[in-house]
Amino acid sequence: MFKDFTSYLQDNNVLTALYYYFLDLPLVIEVACVFILVALSATLLAYGSILVRRYRGYRQDKKETDLLPVIDQLLTEHVVLNEGLADNVPIDDIELPIEKFRTKTLRNPANRQLLIDRIVNYKKSFAGSIGDLLRRLYLELELDKVSFRKMKSVKWNRKVQGMIELTDMDMSISDVNILPLTNSKNRELRAEARNAYIKLSKNEPFKFFDVVTEPLLMWDQIELFKTITTTEEIAIPKFARWVTYSPNKSIVSFCLKLIVHYNQQDAAHAVIKLLDNKDHNLRADAINCLGKLRCEEAEPHLVEIYYSQPLNCQLEILKAIGRMDTGNQIQFLRHEFLHSSDFDIRKNAAKSLIKTRATPKSLVDELIETGTAENKLILRHCMNPLIKF
Amino acid sequence: MQAVYESTVFVYGVILLIIYALLAIMSFVAIKIYRRRSSLASYENMLGSPLTPGISVIAPAYNEGLSIIQNVRSLLTLNYPKFEVVLVNDGSTDNSLLQLIEAFEMEKVDYAYSIKIRCQKIKGVYKSRNSAYSRLIVIDKVNGKSKADASNAGINVASYDYFVCTDVDCILSKDTLLKLIKPVTEEPSKRVIAAGATLRIANSCDIEEGVILRMRPPRKLLPRFQEMEYIRAFVLGKMGWSLINCVPNVSGGLGLFDKEVAIKAGGYDAQSFGEDMELMVRMSRYAYDNQIDYAIRYIPETLCWTEAPNTVKIFMRQRTRWARGLAQLMYAHKGMLFNPRYGKAGWVLMPYNFFFELLAPLVELTGIVYYIVQLCRGEINPEYAILLLVFVYMYSIMITTIAILWDQLAFRHYKSFREVLLLCTTPFLEFLLYHPMIVLFSIRGYYYFLTGKKHSWGNMQRQGFGNTTVQRKVAVQQ
Amino acid sequence: MERILIIDDNDIVQMVLQKILVREGYAVDIATNGKEGLELIDRENYDLIITDLMMPYANGFEIISKIRQHPKGERAKIIIISAVTQEHSITEGFQLGADDYLKKPITGKELVIRVKRLLDAKRATTNIHV
Repeated sequence: MFKDFTSYLQDNNVLTALYYYFLDLPLVIEVACVFILVALSATLLAYGSILVRRYRGYRQDKKETDLLPVIDQLLTEHVVLNEGLADNVPIDDIELPIEKFRTKTLRNPANRQLLIDRIVNYKKSFAGSIGDLLRRLYLELELDKVSFRKMKSVKWNRKVQGMIELTDMDMSISDVNILPLTNSKNRELRAEARNAYIKLSKNEPFKFFDVVTEPLLMWDQIELFKTITTTEEIAIPKFARWVTYSPNKSIVSFCLKLIVHYNQQDAAHAVIKLLDNKDHNLRADAINCLGKLRCEEAEPHLVEIYYSQPLNCQLEILKAIGRMDTGNQIQFLRHEFLHSSDFDIRKNAAKSLIKTRATPKSLVDELIETGTAENKLILRHCMNPLIKF
Repeated sequence: MQAVYESTVFVYGVILLIIYALLAIMSFVAIKIYRRRSSLASYENMLGSPLTPGISVIAPAYNEGLSIIQNVRSLLTLNYPKFEVVLVNDGSTDNSLLQLIEAFEMEKVDYAYSIKIRCQKIKGVYKSRNSAYSRLIVIDKVNGKSKADASNAGINVASYDYFVCTDVDCILSKDTLLKLIKPVTEEPSKRVIAAGATLRIANSCDIEEGVILRMRPPRKLLPRFQEMEYIRAFVLGKMGWSLINCVPNVSGGLGLFDKEVAIKAGGYDAQSFGEDMELMVRMSRYAYDNQIDYAIRYIPETLCWTEAPNTVKIFMRQRTRWARGLAQLMYAHKGMLFNPRYGKAGWVLMPYNFFFELLAPLVELTGIVYYIVQLCRGEINPEYAILLLVFVYMYSIMITTIAILWDQLAFRHYKSFREVLLLCTTPFLEFLLYHPMIVLFSIRGYYYFLTGKKHSWGNMQRQGFGNTTVQRKVAVQQ
Repeated sequence: MERILIIDDNDIVQMVLQKILVREGYAVDIATNGKEGLELIDRENYDLIITDLMMPYANGFEIISKIRQHPKGERAKIIIISAVTQEHSITEGFQLGADDYLKKPITGKELVIRVKRLLDAKRATTNIHV
């Protein structure tokens, strides 16, 4: 039974009485009481927060539904459908009614951000003169200053946001501002700074390839690849340089992919040297690159080293032979197909055999006729145009 | 004796409360980090890149003829540049296969694959003559009486290095693959062996041809309880664990896996009743045994909607099965418990699963019995007892409400405040209605685990994947 | 007046393409996903169809294949507009019967020129047949 509370009230006010009453309860109950209060207030607080969050979100949505059509109307009418664009007037001479964008609503910071986002989105979908005119609009509305201010923020995500806006709008950021960030401790910031640097630096866009020590993540590679291959003014260097000199494996492997993309045939020599590398993943990347470059001179060497390689490199060698399609290795492929105990080896050997145009039809027929059930299946698999892998 | 029991239960309870409080904090941090990153990420870069890794989407189906065409079509519209859909027809007795062949202009092809993990015989592999459907590959196999067996067949045939496992009746968000692969591509030093995302209940959502048009909390109480539970388990639980790289499980409804590790670990276990969690534990174990510094990542975003059981009978079957799976798993991997060789998995994950997942229903049941006995004997002060009960009740409501809050802060799901409010009322009833059911069904599962071994496997297994799906179909139609 | 259908789930692309093409004197309809697109093709006659590749309900490849199988869509010209630039996607698009492939970001002028050229070619062949 709880003690009688009234006895505590005798010579105290209610609060002190409650306090003493509370102190006299068993510890477990005291703790429970405190926690009930905490839990109750936390729950109520959560309800409040949900309500506030919903309301703010609702307001935001409403604002967007009201404002976006206005922004879209302005952008399409004065930028996309601008008469000057159709008449091939130089971008800087086109008449752009800037004052129409300087409305009171669009000066409000939140709305201005909406405008920036929208312009960036348009720019992402449209290149050419429309893109150039969008950029001019962004500049004349001095929105670049807004983005630059974000870059000066102490919060890393604001910095990144500013940087993304500037790079998306093809703004130049001075090396002084951006170089320190390329070595930032924060991964996202570092990656974005490098991306911006490649896109915007006038002098040596690939400078950081020389110095970067930590691995270049796949996600960052994907972004860099996109930037490198879609930025128009960029001077594409000979990536073989890093393949030869860079101690950073991820940089080497990334450069191999770029060599393939730009079909830099003269890199073949540097790539062949990589076949002596200790890291088998890197060797596999190098073999893959040689195959895609169709570097025929490397083929005898690949076959030579074949038996000393781990499985992933062997598979890449078989694929590379198929890609090179020289017709010199039919016997080798046939041998691997017939005698390897590994399924993937046999499948890739068969695939390259089929891919090689010089393979006589009689050989394939013979293999199908004399082969085991599984080998027959593999050959038919590789010959079926519906199957890609 | 009595004192020992009482203090053990007290310590147990306090630790559990602390764990939940910590999870609430950790998940908040994890979600915040995720939100910051994803708001800045441009997923479009992946669409045009030759560097983007390929993904095989594996969808096992058993007698899903009612909706299979639509679901496959919807899988084919996933927003990703390099993927294939591997549909595994697990010996359906309806006309699923015929429908597929007709709708997607498929023909049987000579497909060579090697059986790297065990599964029932594959009868045929089909590809489409129409290159619009070149991403689709259909496997027809002998029924293996489990989803695990069907998934294994899919893994054997899959061509890419990563695979996403799902159910054919799950509805996926269009950007699922982009969002699941992101954590894999941005991991600096560890190898990400699996990634998962939040699942939700599709029951009352507006769905049109496999696309979620509008999310709603389920109107019926039982599925709504499950929606609440899923939010708590995913947004609060798994996100919290992911902060310290201790994710216990990647759900069978949607998960991305590293194919090489999954195969080397042996694939799904067809004998298991909780094959998704079992695979995750085995993959972790494999990683530790082979010195792979691994990570399992989770994202708080809802990418998958699933039809939840909406009758108690089917719900009971599901939970009994899960509990049985958990018991099996803990028994099979008991060697990992407090084994320093398994690092965090041995010291955090497995003990948590053992004490607070496996033992929880038992502790609770004995606790309640003890409580009632003591109450009747007059050993406990009823007012104090009620106070403690109120505390536990309030605490559970608080935790669930916080989970809903985190979800709302991050994504503001549902259209109106009223819908959120409806969801917020469910925790008040959970304690009285939903939770006792889970406790009972779990104990039922443990009972089957203990006695089931004496019976034949096949007999019990028929309650598994195949049948539940059919039952569920029937239930949905009613 | 020649009729064009745009199938794209990106609101900006939809709107801007529509405005540009309307100014060039075409009648332009919009579909925001594959399903809507196929319904419109069923109902109306289009001379040219501009489609994205990744959209809800039905992807671009499926749409192209359906258009080509459709009695009305056989002669229509098809342009793919997509951020997907992988070689195999492009070849797949052409194999299915697309007439042109534009990568995002698009330039307005290029689009207009390509649309004009395709429609001229179509008109020329139609005249010969008549």
